Amino acid sequence: MRIKRILFPLASLVCALFVFGSRSHAADGNFPIYFQNSKLVVKAQSINRVTYLPLTDIVAVMGLPYTDALALETLTIRSGNSRLVASRNSALISVNDQIILLSSPILREDGKWLGPVDYLTQGLSKLTGTEFRYRVGSSRIFAGNTEAPELLMNAQSLGPITRLTIRSSAPINAELRRDEKSNRAVIALDRTPLDALQERLEHKDRFVRSIAFDDSDAASKIVMDLTNEVKDIKITSTDNNRVLFIDLMREAAAKPVTSVPAATPVPAKPDAITPERKVRVIVIDPGHGGMDNGAAGSGINEKDLTLVLARKLRAALQTKLGATVLLTRDSDVAMDNEARSAAANNNQANLFISLHVGYSPNKVDAGSSVFIMKEDFGDAFEATAVSRNQLFLPWYLGYRTSHGSSAQAAKILQEDLSKAIPGWQFPVRTAPLAVLSSVTMPSMLLEIGNLNNPVNAQTLMDAMFQNKLVDTIVGAVQRFSSTQQPSAN
Amino acid sequence: MPRHIKIGLIVLGIGFAVSLGFFVDIVGRVRHLVNEVETEENPFSAPAQPLYAPTDPPVSAKIFFPAASGPALLTAEDEMIFKSAEVVNRAKQILQKLQDGPHSNAMFPSLPKDTKVQDIFISEQGIAFIDFSNTISTNHPGGLLNELTTIYSIVNSLTYNIDEIKQVKILIGGVEKETLAGHCLLLLPMEMDLSITNVTPPTQKTAALK
Repeated sequence: MRIKRILFPLASLVCALFVFGSRSHAADGNFPIYFQNSKLVVKAQSINRVTYLPLTDIVAVMGLPYTDALALETLTIRSGNSRLVASRNSALISVNDQIILLSSPILREDGKWLGPVDYLTQGLSKLTGTEFRYRVGSSRIFAGNTEAPELLMNAQSLGPITRLTIRSSAPINAELRRDEKSNRAVIALDRTPLDALQERLEHKDRFVRSIAFDDSDAASKIVMDLTNEVKDIKITSTDNNRVLFIDLMREAAAKPVTSVPAATPVPAKPDAITPERKVRVIVIDPGHGGMDNGAAGSGINEKDLTLVLARKLRAALQTKLGATVLLTRDSDVAMDNEARSAAANNNQANLFISLHVGYSPNKVDAGSSVFIMKEDFGDAFEATAVSRNQLFLPWYLGYRTSHGSSAQAAKILQEDLSKAIPGWQFPVRTAPLAVLSSVTMPSMLLEIGNLNNPVNAQTLMDAMFQNKLVDTIVGAVQRFSSTQQPSAN
Repeated sequence: MPRHIKIGLIVLGIGFAVSLGFFVDIVGRVRHLVNEVETEENPFSAPAQPLYAPTDPPVSAKIFFPAASGPALLTAEDEMIFKSAEVVNRAKQILQKLQDGPHSNAMFPSLPKDTKVQDIFISEQGIAFIDFSNTISTNHPGGLLNELTTIYSIVNSLTYNIDEIKQVKILIGGVEKETLAGHCLLLLPMEMDLSITNVTPPTQKTAALK
């Protein structure tokens, strides 16, 4: 008896779940479809976690005749001599008698035919010859030759500010609309449609709760939910409006936002700050680390010496230039070259310096070199993306964006080092360098000395020599900075 | 001693003797197997086929080595190889000369100690895939310039002397590696670079460049 009391309600619950739970409806949302000369915003329904679109609304806008056969429970759409037949509750559709399997079945609810997105991308594309492009996870479809520049968003906390970086493959302008009461800011973009590579960013910090791209009303915008701490928002652009920086900050900036990173927590009394520094974020890469000792000689490992030099250089650059200086590694850990390049790119550095110590089979050699990336590297295998002028370069060709500036920086460093350390040669050389190939800012690699030369190795370990070397590099960075155009970050 | 204990001891003794025999036999077999592996000849270092035929004409080849002094990083030594019909065999001869090292005191060996060429494959596009043993990486003393000269001594020696080879892709231990000693990117095939040498371009390739 007791078992029956438990079993009956349980069975009823299972039945109820089976009957009512099989179709879970989520909130409806707007779903824009961009045609070459027009756009249509339809109400999408999320059923069983699948986005369903109202089919008859779409084909009506496209001007295609259709037959809704209630008795047969089929929807037939015609285009010229072609026809597309879909049946209720079936994932199979027929285009000119060719059967296509969709990811989810066609539904008919409340007198409306509903189909998954691939009804358009596979069915209607085949029927009409108009290609429907859909990025999985997005909420928009592009039909035919609709031009939709790609849009990439990135947010990061940069000391006192939070910066949202928007990159687009075509120039865009942004307008800020802020609702102080609801702590919501909308960045209206003047270009529609845009092909957003992310719908929202997983970034939360003290300024921002959520960042999302929204074009549900067929107008492109970025919606940010902010915290109470945000008092000022600044928008700046660079690269002919292809890159927008949206800076969220606590207090209103006295100067244009280009000076914001200077306010990052660095020693407060820089003694040589130029009125407008162009090199503000510098990434220093101490070569090797962890299991990878690099070259070794005279009891010295390259990885240890590069770390010592990098730490000294960081302190000097912060003190003398007031720059934000980051090390790719600040301990004896192994890092691959890609992670080192990524550290520079992700922090939007203005300069990347990799430090190495040399080793020559010649025991009396004291050669040093300033390296930059080999200019024609990757030519033979150049990806078509470069020639097509798309938004992205292949990762290994990132160096091309700043190769001229890299050569300029290397020349300045060579001149300064040759003057400061007489008797040492610092020729500028090129090589297919793994650590420089992907960095997208001026970059160089300094290889100093020869650990196989005991005298040279002792000199490298001398604190006075190290200080002189570091001071010279700081001077060269300062000189290089004065030659650069102010950049946005 | 009771009789049944005697019988038991005898059976145990026989069992021990048989087990010992099996054990000695197994140890012998294992040792034999181990020796077999040790003495097995490396199929790549000792090619079964000769690298050239007696009728193949001798030709001069420039083998690039790190220069001991001077502004050029690499300098070349003229060596004699035989112009075998197979491009792979010519490449093997050149790599053998690189492994042998320079005769002149003005140059240094370019390949680290115990470096072996495991395999060579030349694609239709003229890319030579050279698979070196891991020792080219593990025995490399490091240093960017040193790594650069190791790589370009291989690339230049092959591309300079063999017209069919346009680019060289270095593999290490049978697989693609990002770098040889932490600096130079090996992921893309490399072309001849004479800017770091004191050698003028070969006549045919100069004409082709024009």
